[in-house]
Amino acid sequence: MSIIIENISKHFGNFKALDNINLEVGSGELLALLGPSGCGKTSLLRIIGGLELPDTGKLLFHGEDVKSRDACNRNVGFVFQHYALFRHMSVFENVAFGLRVKPKHIRYKEAEIKRRVHELLELVQLDWLADRFPAQLSGGQRQRIALARALAVEPKILLLDEPFGALDAQVRKELRRWLRRLHDELHITSIFVTHDQEEALEVSDRVVVMNKGRIEQVGTPDEVYAQPATPFVYQFIGNVNLFHSRDHAPWTQQLDDAIAYVRPHDIDISVSAQDETSLPVVVNLVRAIGAIVRVEVEIDGSHELIEIELSRERFDAAPLACGDRVYIRPRQFRVFQKEETDELPAT
Amino acid sequence: MAHSTQGIATHESKTVTRVFITIALGYLLLFLGLPLFAVFYQALSKGWDLYYAALLEPDAWSAIKLTFIAAAIAVPCNLVFGIAAAWSIAKFDFKGKSMLITLIDLPFAVSPVVSGLVYVLLFGAQGWFGPWLQEHDLKLIFAVPGIVLATIFVTFPFIARELIPLMQAQGKDEEEAAVSLGASGWQTFSRVTLPNIKWGLLYGVILCNARAMGEFGAVSVVSGHIRGMTNTMPLHVEILYNEYNFVAAFTIASLLALLALVTLLVKSVVEWQAIRSGAAIRSLI
Repeated sequence: MSIIIENISKHFGNFKALDNINLEVGSGELLALLGPSGCGKTSLLRIIGGLELPDTGKLLFHGEDVKSRDACNRNVGFVFQHYALFRHMSVFENVAFGLRVKPKHIRYKEAEIKRRVHELLELVQLDWLADRFPAQLSGGQRQRIALARALAVEPKILLLDEPFGALDAQVRKELRRWLRRLHDELHITSIFVTHDQEEALEVSDRVVVMNKGRIEQVGTPDEVYAQPATPFVYQFIGNVNLFHSRDHAPWTQQLDDAIAYVRPHDIDISVSAQDETSLPVVVNLVRAIGAIVRVEVEIDGSHELIEIELSRERFDAAPLACGDRVYIRPRQFRVFQKEETDELPAT
Repeated sequence: MAHSTQGIATHESKTVTRVFITIALGYLLLFLGLPLFAVFYQALSKGWDLYYAALLEPDAWSAIKLTFIAAAIAVPCNLVFGIAAAWSIAKFDFKGKSMLITLIDLPFAVSPVVSGLVYVLLFGAQGWFGPWLQEHDLKLIFAVPGIVLATIFVTFPFIARELIPLMQAQGKDEEEAAVSLGASGWQTFSRVTLPNIKWGLLYGVILCNARAMGEFGAVSVVSGHIRGMTNTMPLHVEILYNEYNFVAAFTIASLLALLALVTLLVKSVVEWQAIRSGAAIRSLI
């Protein structure tokens, strides 16, 4: 089912949580809402799910306005950040809940409920836990039960709030891939909220980057990483070095107040100056992290630090040590005017 | 190993431990055990026959009945109010919320005699609503309804106070989950909220009931002490005692003490059950 969000705004007291949001979600799409905490992503998700009402704007499911429809009539599956499993019910009863509360005339027979619940538990590969209580499960198991419970009512839209936020790194990676596979099987329109850029880029079809209640950019994972639309997206997705035009005019290629954004892996290191853009630096720190080598250099005569990432091969071809004097040059960068960059979060 | 882990942890000698335990137990015996024993001893000092006679005496019997009636009305009223107040405070944000929380504590803060007097001032013959009540032939003060009102007033914080922190700690995630799964408001309450608060609720009801049966001050002011009509058990005890009818006074007192002991027993069982059902959850979170 497609979702259209038109001019939606939401205030909490004086705080503007959402500022005129416009967004279209295609049927069967897996969309990530990405942004720092307090950017409004969870508020937007809760508005779509009917748990919060927008102050203004329209919300259409498959062309139909659902703003006045209660959460219980929207046919939306919601997976909560801390799972919100019913603690006094067994895993089986948790998953069966949505089927048991249906009005009598459309409720399934007990045998059918049983069959469906076991089918869902098999889908999330936890059929053997049916009689346990939520407190007896691990975080990853709770997450999958919460998903099974949401899927039980056969929702047309699935909403997930920080689905992997409370899990440790290993489980998180596994569940991410599993969620992606599950989505490819079921094709339910899904939106998930995350503050983890890696998660958003790896799992979703499209990423919506949000900041301070506004949408900064909508695009495929590749687009938002390779062609960030705003300084915020540049800083939020991936690492970035900033070069001010006052000190590094050749890099920004203009003299007025501007800043060049350069990714750490878009910087070349050489032993001699290549041209007028080459900047003399001193190697400060060298750290090998798995397949990449992270080099921190200090610009001559100032205390500005610049982060550079090299592949292991490139580093091995021209090894560096602390104290080495070298030259750096950007391979690729983007320049933003100073005014555009004013509202950046501290990094 | 002769040392207990506690001994190692606190580095107290056995003598010190024993002294403290003796002080605590002695104090308990002197101020709680002895009076309790005295109540039953006095009540039964002239034998079981007189004890039964004092219990079955019509005025005593009517006091017992009135006490149970007042509790039977006050506790359900405060049950509904307590759940409603705790629900709205824990699950919603609204203006005047902190005011409501403070107001709920009012009966704890104010002397029961004052609350009794307030009702006399409101509904008594010379009170604000007195003339109107007389016109409609309604009698609240020096009658059963007044006693019930005073009991409700004095006991209304118990259940709400018990539930508010519990429901605040539980948050509204589970309710939201239930709603998003298609549950109606009533289904959400009966299938999700109520099972989660049942032990706290029961605990609050027990305490509320204990206080409702034992209340003296507020009820004393509004009751008028009419024997066989508006006397509750605590009031009846006082009257009998003032008449030097010690056996009868202590008989009714022993019944009140017995109710208290039963309450404590039920309370312990509930606490134990709550801990048992909650222990599995807490150990894993």
